[in-house]
Amino acid sequence: MTVTTQTQPQPGSNLWRTVGKLLRLRWVIFTSSFRRGKLRNKIMTIILGLLILGGLAVVFVISWALLKFLRSPQLAEYVGDVSPFLESVPVVVVSAAFVLILLASFGVLLQALYLAGDMEFLLSAPIPIRAVFVTKMTQAILPNFGLILLFALPVLYGLGYSEGYNFLYYPLVLIVLASLALAAAGLASLLVMAVVRIFPARRVAEILGFVVAILSFTCSQSGQIMNYSRFSTGQALQAFNMLTRLDSFWSPLAWAGHSLADIGAGRWLSGTALFLVTVGMSGGIFALSLATSERLYYSGWASVQVSTRSKRAARTPRRAASGGLPLAALVQRVVPPPVRAIVVKDFLMLRRDLRNMSQLVTPLILGILYAFMLIRRGGEPPAGRGEAPAEFMAALRGLMVYANVGISLFVSWSLLSRLAGMAFSQEGKSYWLLKASPVSTGKLLSAKFLVAFLPTLALGWGFLVIISLLQGAGLGLLAFSMAAVFLIIGGTTGLNLTFGVLGANFNWEDPRRISQGSAGCLGAVASFMFLLASLALFFGPTTLIDVLGGPQWAGQLIGLLLGGAFSLAVGIIPLWMVRRRVALLMEK
Amino acid sequence: MANGIGNSTLIETQHLVKRYGDKVAVSDVSFEVQAGEVFGFLGPNGAGKTTTIKMIVGLLQPTSGTVKVGGYDIQTQPLLAKAASGYVPDTPNLYPKLSGRELLRFVGDLFEMERQQVDRRIDELLRLFDLVEAGDDPIDSYSHGMQQKAALAAALMHDPKVLVLDEPTVGLDPRSARLIKDMLRQLANRGAAVFLSTHILEIAERMCDRIGIINQGQLIAVGSMEELRSLGKGETSLEDIFLSLTGGAEYAEITEVLG
Repeated sequence: MTVTTQTQPQPGSNLWRTVGKLLRLRWVIFTSSFRRGKLRNKIMTIILGLLILGGLAVVFVISWALLKFLRSPQLAEYVGDVSPFLESVPVVVVSAAFVLILLASFGVLLQALYLAGDMEFLLSAPIPIRAVFVTKMTQAILPNFGLILLFALPVLYGLGYSEGYNFLYYPLVLIVLASLALAAAGLASLLVMAVVRIFPARRVAEILGFVVAILSFTCSQSGQIMNYSRFSTGQALQAFNMLTRLDSFWSPLAWAGHSLADIGAGRWLSGTALFLVTVGMSGGIFALSLATSERLYYSGWASVQVSTRSKRAARTPRRAASGGLPLAALVQRVVPPPVRAIVVKDFLMLRRDLRNMSQLVTPLILGILYAFMLIRRGGEPPAGRGEAPAEFMAALRGLMVYANVGISLFVSWSLLSRLAGMAFSQEGKSYWLLKASPVSTGKLLSAKFLVAFLPTLALGWGFLVIISLLQGAGLGLLAFSMAAVFLIIGGTTGLNLTFGVLGANFNWEDPRRISQGSAGCLGAVASFMFLLASLALFFGPTTLIDVLGGPQWAGQLIGLLLGGAFSLAVGIIPLWMVRRRVALLMEK
Repeated sequence: MANGIGNSTLIETQHLVKRYGDKVAVSDVSFEVQAGEVFGFLGPNGAGKTTTIKMIVGLLQPTSGTVKVGGYDIQTQPLLAKAASGYVPDTPNLYPKLSGRELLRFVGDLFEMERQQVDRRIDELLRLFDLVEAGDDPIDSYSHGMQQKAALAAALMHDPKVLVLDEPTVGLDPRSARLIKDMLRQLANRGAAVFLSTHILEIAERMCDRIGIINQGQLIAVGSMEELRSLGKGETSLEDIFLSLTGGAEYAEITEVLG
């Protein structure tokens, strides 16, 4: 028998054709999910697209006007010559774009290479591995590149327009940004391999999510503590100078920025040389990173983690708390074991999953921020224009005494909506374990109530005590405020937990996607209404009696009775109404 | 019956029906499983095995019909029925951030076991399933097989009278699969009722005292191997009986064409 070897090409041997096929697949997935999406989502996507286009135009006009303003002689009289800053604008924008693409690509590539789950399918298909990597990198670059263009392009085009750069400047801006995006994505892929070599990919994703959430929240709120009215000319110049420091002779990113400015201004020789160096270096970095990361991935180098910590010794089992703290013994006697078990389990799960923690830490930051603002203002109501009657200002001042309670409840409220609203949903696909166990609905609801109530109360009381101590509030007022916070948080917990039962969603993989449907939103609205009503019942009588000149304790007592009864009713009745629904959870 | 344990019915379903809108997932299923018996539940994909199992362990409410576990009605006395049973699902979705040891302690507390008993049982089960070293590691670092073993350990924590397992040997290495098979037999010998669904007919044939076959939501045959053989047209192996009853024999022609 003779064996004939045919010289037909191997399937998928054409790299770029395969890349085209894989990218087309992504496009098909995107368009089909858009087509099959709900009408509401389609409309939202279209509106978002239009908003982005509108945003582009607005940023362009603002940049053009701002940069023109910076050139004005009147401004130069106040802040001096800002030419060095204007010269460095392309460098600043290009550097910021590079760093942002590098960071964003890291997250996307981590997901695409290690967590998406399609790598095994793609690598076992008869297609070049390089095609898979090129596609994954393109997948990482495209959305980030689009996002960066959204901010960088109008600024750079605005600069070109205001500085009167020649026509070559405009297409070259796009080419330089695209080359830098390729280089950034290439470096990000190497960074992913190195990090995954040390830490499990899932853990890295959790930490990344936590850090990004905290950073973005802190940045978004930083305006609250900044005092822009006191921002001096000297400080403005200092900020300008700091930005121009990016324009260093040795920085390749500065070369990229200068290539654009030089070509735009007609300095052809230096501009072309720097442009070629930028594009060449970026292409080289991308090609080298691609080949290296592909090799590291395929050889399994990155997947074999180098343990950085020694194995923990097995814990000795806990013994019965015979000689433990009296409080612990009391809790063991009073709280039934299933309730205790669920509470402990939920706290452990919340603490250990950083993706949960980012949602829980934000209220803390918010609380610190607003407490700081309140203390800075010294507990005085805003003066306004000064035309308000003295009686009104006195009543307002009386109410401000209870502003601490408002702050504590506001901080607690945001934490509570996460803890109680998601109390059941956070069980996810593991809920079968609870459902198949002999735990009554009452015990289950009690456990979930405690999981949300206890940390929220600790946070609310913590803020209340600290602010009251800093403001030197009296003990009686503090005790009344603590009782009010206790009861109002109890009511809000019951209300949020009710909506948590109604909108329970167990079908999720990422805790950040737990929330589904309108129950959460309705819960937030309902609990906000309850907060207003309960605050009126607790503090209305005290303020009224205060204005009428009666004793403060009488007002507080009436407030406690009215507000307390209302809070207890709201905390218990809605839960009692949905108790039958708990037994049917996860049956869809 | 494989052993001499007395006849007490530990699982009993009567005219069990589950509908999802117009679709009937389980239709009029009635059977009993006695103490000391290993009952195999077979059927093609989508036949209604998992739906039936979920109704037995109280995860799904039947549209009509009754289920009794350990003598208790799962709908009217759910806590007593659940306290008598242990369940291992086909996909072991366990709390990923708990360690194996913490998971078992959690389950022990849910079943209101004594603290000393919980500690003793955790040590026993971790040792039995070869999870002592991984006992303090988070479950999301476990392999599928280890998670399956952790789920089985959790189901055995309270030493249940009734054990319900959905595809218990999927993803297990031969050693672990053998361990589970031996353990299920021992549990039955000690008087428990073991109800398991499986696609591996060899396991069902060798392990089970009686077998139920479900197809398109209907229980089409129940009995011991001898009783099932008498139902067929002279087939001797469970595979042939299964294919003959569920209508899969015609696939032989397709495989011939592909071959």
